[in-house]
Amino acid sequence: MLKLSRRHLLKTAAALSVLAASPLTIVPAFAEDSVHAVLNGLIKKYSDEAKTGMSNGDVSALFERDGFRDYLDVYPVGDLAGGFVWKPGMGASFVGPYSKLQIKAPFTDYLPLPEGPVLDASKKYRIGLVFHGFNHPWLISLADTAAWEAKRHPNIELEVIDAEFDDNKMGQVIDTWIAKQYDGIVLWPNREAPMGPPVDRAVAAGIPVVSLDRRTSSEQISSEVLGNFYANGLQQGLYLKHAAPEGNIIFNRKDLGSTADSIRTGAFLEAIGNTPGYKVLANYHTNSQRTQAFKSTADALQAFKDISVSFNTGGEEAMGALDAIREANRLNSAPGGKKIMILANDDAREVLKEIKAGNIEMVSPYTPLIGDIGIRAVVMHIGAKAGLNEAPPKLIMTPNLPMITKEKMNIEGIETLTPDEWPYAYGPEVSG
Amino acid sequence: MSAIQLSSPSASRVIPFLLDLARDPIVWLIALIFVVGAMTSQYYLTTLNLENLMRNVAVIGLLSLGMTVVLLTGRIDLSVAALMIFSIVVGVVVMTEIAPLIGSRWLVRGNTYAGPIVPVILIALTTGAAIGAINGIGVAYFKVASFIMTLVSLTALRGFNYVLTDGHPYYLKAPLYQWIGDSKFAGIPVSFLLFLLVLLVLIGFVNGTVRGGRFYAIGGNEKAALYAGINTRRYVVLAYVISGLCAAIAGIVFTARLKSVDAPLAAGYELTAIAIAVIGGTALSGGIGSPWRTLLGSVAFAAGLNLLAIWGVGTWYQNLAIGIVLIASVGLSKMSRKKSKS
Repeated sequence: MLKLSRRHLLKTAAALSVLAASPLTIVPAFAEDSVHAVLNGLIKKYSDEAKTGMSNGDVSALFERDGFRDYLDVYPVGDLAGGFVWKPGMGASFVGPYSKLQIKAPFTDYLPLPEGPVLDASKKYRIGLVFHGFNHPWLISLADTAAWEAKRHPNIELEVIDAEFDDNKMGQVIDTWIAKQYDGIVLWPNREAPMGPPVDRAVAAGIPVVSLDRRTSSEQISSEVLGNFYANGLQQGLYLKHAAPEGNIIFNRKDLGSTADSIRTGAFLEAIGNTPGYKVLANYHTNSQRTQAFKSTADALQAFKDISVSFNTGGEEAMGALDAIREANRLNSAPGGKKIMILANDDAREVLKEIKAGNIEMVSPYTPLIGDIGIRAVVMHIGAKAGLNEAPPKLIMTPNLPMITKEKMNIEGIETLTPDEWPYAYGPEVSG
Repeated sequence: MSAIQLSSPSASRVIPFLLDLARDPIVWLIALIFVVGAMTSQYYLTTLNLENLMRNVAVIGLLSLGMTVVLLTGRIDLSVAALMIFSIVVGVVVMTEIAPLIGSRWLVRGNTYAGPIVPVILIALTTGAAIGAINGIGVAYFKVASFIMTLVSLTALRGFNYVLTDGHPYYLKAPLYQWIGDSKFAGIPVSFLLFLLVLLVLIGFVNGTVRGGRFYAIGGNEKAALYAGINTRRYVVLAYVISGLCAAIAGIVFTARLKSVDAPLAAGYELTAIAIAVIGGTALSGGIGSPWRTLLGSVAFAAGLNLLAIWGVGTWYQNLAIGIVLIASVGLSKMSRKKSKS
């Protein structure tokens, strides 16, 4: 009797707290005017146009060759869970437990959990976070936010493992956690294909699994916290179309087959595919490495005298490209003595500094500060399994964020932000 | 009666073998890992964890077995990890190219291979042996240093992996592949049974035949082996063919578990294979070691890493532990060799 009433109380309390804290059923009236909605509208517009055909032969050939359509068609674009509307300024500030850097995480109000014990307060919940790259500023920040969220709840025990970019090792870590009967698993998969089977095994063992940012090939996964890759690439394309109707482009891309490359580059090509003035000069895969992007850009600068645009799928790549262009003293070597335009993703502090200095034209923010959403989502799944609350949605979209430019601009309805208006940058502080 | 039994050939072999085993530091190391694991974690000796352990041993063990044979001849094979992926990629690519010729399409949406899997496996094995033969011919007949020859192979095969796949993964979901990757027979993972089968064949050949013994002769003193009438070049090529075959089998087991093959997978696994062979007592200078001891090395390596993982130790510290164990094993094996010589 006592057990029943306690469980009943817990269930009611959990349900009330989820209802009170998360706007799951309340859709604010202004959701349709949000940046998220505007960008989703533009994604649909340019995707539909690209599907009917691309008039630019160069762009179309690259798009077809790398099979972007297959990836773009299955990448979810949609509304935020519970009609959440994100606005600049939201979020929480703290010092990252791993990076020891000051962080402002933007989405701490998204699917929120109140501070204190979660679910059954008398129980310890063991959650594993496996990712790659304690040596990568973006990824340390991801782990920072996950660890911050876990620390807010005394009955969560978080184990964080770096699989060092070895997919097989990540699979082994997950298998070990299955053997240890963990309550939940959060992962940042590097590549989709190899991570499906381990996730399926965990789910089959009754352990909820939530992926962050990138996707796995698992169809059984409990939830996917998806980034705004589509909006990233699209905004790079929109900026380019706005700034220059023609240009010769070199590409520094991430691993072929990674979600980040497939969606960002694909969306960029969709946006510029019907503008005939662009030419693809060179296409490199620099695998998120600054040194490789430096080398490929240096090679391209030797091979081509008329580069006008450097497209980069990540911030590390953009910094590598900028370093190479500077070293070659070619910053203003685009046709007509114009500056080579550098388009970036990932809002690292050093990228924002270069935008402020006018060296990088724009960046589409892609915040790593989403680990907290993963922890909250997996806790909700654990609670749902125990009948304590509703499960979160399978697809948890993160808000589309507006691009950052040196000066404020309005590009196809998107109000850009300046570096000073962006408190969410990650990575080490840079002098100057 | 008992005296007769004791003096029978099998008993006279078994008892010294068991005595040797009891004196072997690596056996004590394995026992220590299991005892500590059982004492410190309720999960270490669970069926599920032991299955994980056996599956991990299978992949690295297969790679290390091939490496051991090459090391016995005093050479090295740095291409094994790249080859284990390349052989499967070739299998899938060849089959998908064949499909249109017979009016079929075996690569369906999402890059899933939907054709017959047995030919893929056979092509993978042939590719492994063929690349091994090329390595061996380069080393034995063209006198290219084995380090350089196989380093070039490693780089080239990694490049080919990207070229052949265009950087996209191939999904391998055939029932036979799932069986290899996930199933068990009598409670033992099929992948581990495959490893044991290859191990038994290699023990039989390397330690049980005159031809197999020639690997030791070549590694011990190549000139003497040559003067003794052994066609050393042929045996060096054979060692690389065995290594290539082992790499291909490791590739089958590895990709069957991941149900996909992707160009960048298994980077750096060649160093793990070398480390395990060395932990098992194989001398980098050649002539010393055995497949049986490589099994012990594989188990010690995987069980140790598994224990650290069960404890929740970060991978950086795991790498540090591998380094320490490696140095200790090399030191111990040198000491025991000196002792046996004196």
